[in-house]
Amino acid sequence: MAIVGQKLVKQIQATGLKATMAQRLDDAFTRFTAGLSWNDVRGVLRGDPPAKPNPRVKPHTEGFWFHIRPTFYHEAVTTLYPTFRLGLLSALFFTFEIITGIFLMIFYTPSPTYAYGNMLDILTNVPFGKFVRDLHRLGAEAMVIIVTLHMVRTFVTGSYKKPRQFTWFTGVVLLVVTLFLSFSGYLLPWDQLAFWAVTIGTSMADAVPGIGPQLNLLLRGAPDIGAGGLLRFYLFHVVLFPLIGVIFVAVHYYKVVRFGISLPPEMEAIGEDTARKVPPEKRVNFLPDILTNELMYAGVAFAILAISCATWYSAPLEHHADPLVTPNHTVAPWYFYWLQGLLKIPHMIPLLPSGIAGEVDRFFANVFGLTPKVFWGVIVGPLMFALLFVLPYIDPNPSRRYGDRKVMLTFGALFAAAIIYLSLAGIPTGVPITGFGYVGGDPASEVGQAFIPDEGVGPVRRLPYEAYVVGKFDINAQPNTGSAGLDRLIRDIHNDMEARKARPDPLGKMLSADASGSLEVKQIQSNLRQIIITIDYTDVNGAPAQFKKYTFLHAGSGYAD
Amino acid sequence: MSIVKKIITFRPSFTVRILTGLISMLILLSVCTFIGLADQTRLNVRAAQFDSRAVEAGAKVYFDQCARCHGVNGEGVEGLGPALASEHFVGRIELVTDAMQQQSIRVIKPSERLKQIEWSGTLESYIESVTAAGLPVKTSNLWDVTHPTFSERFGGPLREDQIRDVTRFIINYGLDPLPNDQALLPPAPGEGMAPRPTPVPLTPAQEAGKQVYVAKGCTACHAIRGVGAQGAIGPNLNKIGAVAEERIASESYKTNLKDQPPATTGAEYIRQSILYPNAYVVAQCPQGPCPAGVMPQNYAQQLTPEELDNLVDYLNSLR
Repeated sequence: MAIVGQKLVKQIQATGLKATMAQRLDDAFTRFTAGLSWNDVRGVLRGDPPAKPNPRVKPHTEGFWFHIRPTFYHEAVTTLYPTFRLGLLSALFFTFEIITGIFLMIFYTPSPTYAYGNMLDILTNVPFGKFVRDLHRLGAEAMVIIVTLHMVRTFVTGSYKKPRQFTWFTGVVLLVVTLFLSFSGYLLPWDQLAFWAVTIGTSMADAVPGIGPQLNLLLRGAPDIGAGGLLRFYLFHVVLFPLIGVIFVAVHYYKVVRFGISLPPEMEAIGEDTARKVPPEKRVNFLPDILTNELMYAGVAFAILAISCATWYSAPLEHHADPLVTPNHTVAPWYFYWLQGLLKIPHMIPLLPSGIAGEVDRFFANVFGLTPKVFWGVIVGPLMFALLFVLPYIDPNPSRRYGDRKVMLTFGALFAAAIIYLSLAGIPTGVPITGFGYVGGDPASEVGQAFIPDEGVGPVRRLPYEAYVVGKFDINAQPNTGSAGLDRLIRDIHNDMEARKARPDPLGKMLSADASGSLEVKQIQSNLRQIIITIDYTDVNGAPAQFKKYTFLHAGSGYAD
Repeated sequence: MSIVKKIITFRPSFTVRILTGLISMLILLSVCTFIGLADQTRLNVRAAQFDSRAVEAGAKVYFDQCARCHGVNGEGVEGLGPALASEHFVGRIELVTDAMQQQSIRVIKPSERLKQIEWSGTLESYIESVTAAGLPVKTSNLWDVTHPTFSERFGGPLREDQIRDVTRFIINYGLDPLPNDQALLPPAPGEGMAPRPTPVPLTPAQEAGKQVYVAKGCTACHAIRGVGAQGAIGPNLNKIGAVAEERIASESYKTNLKDQPPATTGAEYIRQSILYPNAYVVAQCPQGPCPAGVMPQNYAQQLTPEELDNLVDYLNSLR
């Protein structure tokens, strides 16, 4: 202490108080920026050309945060093409998810008894709770899209080729981590949507031959998802996958520093990589050009995210999870629709006539124990990822130019088309024209599901309480209930029924022509009504049948908001 | 230069970058500020909405689990359970919304029942604890059964959140409770323990019918006061003799089956309901619209003609 004091006193005596303080402050500032003095930073902000030797290189060698970034880029990769800033955005969203996730963790208990109540608390009792939850959820959905696009871009520009094979490999690991992070987070609200989506997802593990039940047990902590499963998914979500993610992001970033960002394919000779051999006049320094560029993209991305969450986006929260009640039309999260679509292929070889295909199925089932579910879900699905992992090691073509890679690009386009087709097949409505993947029950129950869905709001609940009139009304084209909203609803139900009478669904089922319906509104309590839809029809056996579905509507439940 | 090329070679100048970044940050901060300013009100609005949805969820639980003994309108069912919608039980409440949109329940008239039994907690805690843990002892001879336990914790079917929801639903009756004279009130403590009036003795045939009722497993789904198990799936048969006559007298009565003409006497109605359960299905059950096809349709094979006669005779005597 005394020594420091002596030095300080000597300096003040030599240069005066003001200059000493300025010099000391600048020292501290330089330590903080890992090598840039205040004047250097001012120069950066003013856009001055760097001094020689360039002091702006120093943070890249001295400091942690800049050492994982290159000191300069080639001019050709600083335009929107070829990177589209997708890698940067992936990393930004990963960080963003960690920050919003920690906020949510504070208010969350991973237990079936409390989890759903915690969600309600976050929405009704925590300042900014709903906003942060929406940001976290929308950010996660966006991250899945961005990471996927990042991979597509890398594939299209051939940037996975030598020497970046391992960078691609770590990238596919990060894609898998992103999907699993998103998927494991899906369960945490412990609502019906979460519970059944994850039940479907983990049932894949159960189908693995031999070790399926054990794998399923390991994942769920019990034969069905319960307290153990929730805790495991929570730990996957907040510890395991983020940890793997951080480690692989570090490796991935290191590889980018090591090899540079690959140039647009047409700029290089075939088989060469010149990303790090940048002539001085083509160099764009990281400080300040790339950094300001990145900060701009970060700012714009987060502003869009915040505006979305403040206006149109609202993260869903359905009813409390109920293992005894499976809602109609349960689906996996959208980024696993393709897997659900795969599972709907009923045969090993879908192109064969069904008689022969049945024989093939029986043969495989008898000889190898392979059923179509195991084949498509457990073998082909993961095989698609395995293909992504080894892609750079099996692609023999050294050229990155588009003209030389027609086969590979066509293959990629087919792969993408297959994923989109299977994703459409994964949702209950199936693929629009071919009808592949359609699942639907009785047409009458589909009317019920369309207007009073088991989960989600639906037209009946969206119509406000005040718009209902107590009474029983026939469903026809000219309803006269005295309420315009209720008339419109009844007309909609009528039109839906007529459409189902006129055209068979992809499974060939039609609503019988004599089907008639009624909508009944009953007052249960002074601010609670019951709405019952009844449909009388003739079933496939020609016997009269009746379908009834009801819901309760409270004056203040605000589904319409 | 095509538009595509313009987009893919997009490289904003230093000034544009700094400005766009600053504007974005400004937007981000103002979004956060605006959300922060309106947050308390919005939290309160959402809390009121979720409270309303809890009533909806509670209604479903009530109709599935409680309505059979406490009545579709909470008016109580004789021999099974007292009224819950009565002013005597729920008192009278109103919903108050303050300037910040915060909604709360104000008690205008407290429950007389809780005072009577000297419950020191709130109505909410009483309903929750009775629903969850049941009433282990009989407090009167008015009811055949004690209150079952409904919480999963005590072997019942309901989760904690469902118990909270149904409690919220029952408290909601307090907005517009049934007048006490329209509801089945429970007896005060000490009352109602007197022995029940002796029922009219059964004839030997009816006595045999009663044995059939128990032996053929009817009790798994149906309930008759004091006879065997008290099933909860099918309708209560305490007064089926009288009910049958009411049914055939009602305007909406018709049969769905072509070969089954409408019954003309109560006994015929009961016989038809046993042999052809789908001939006539009552429109409203406590759980909502009554489903057809729940009752087994093979009693014509299961019962001998004599057993059937005795059973119908017995059931018809219940009034």
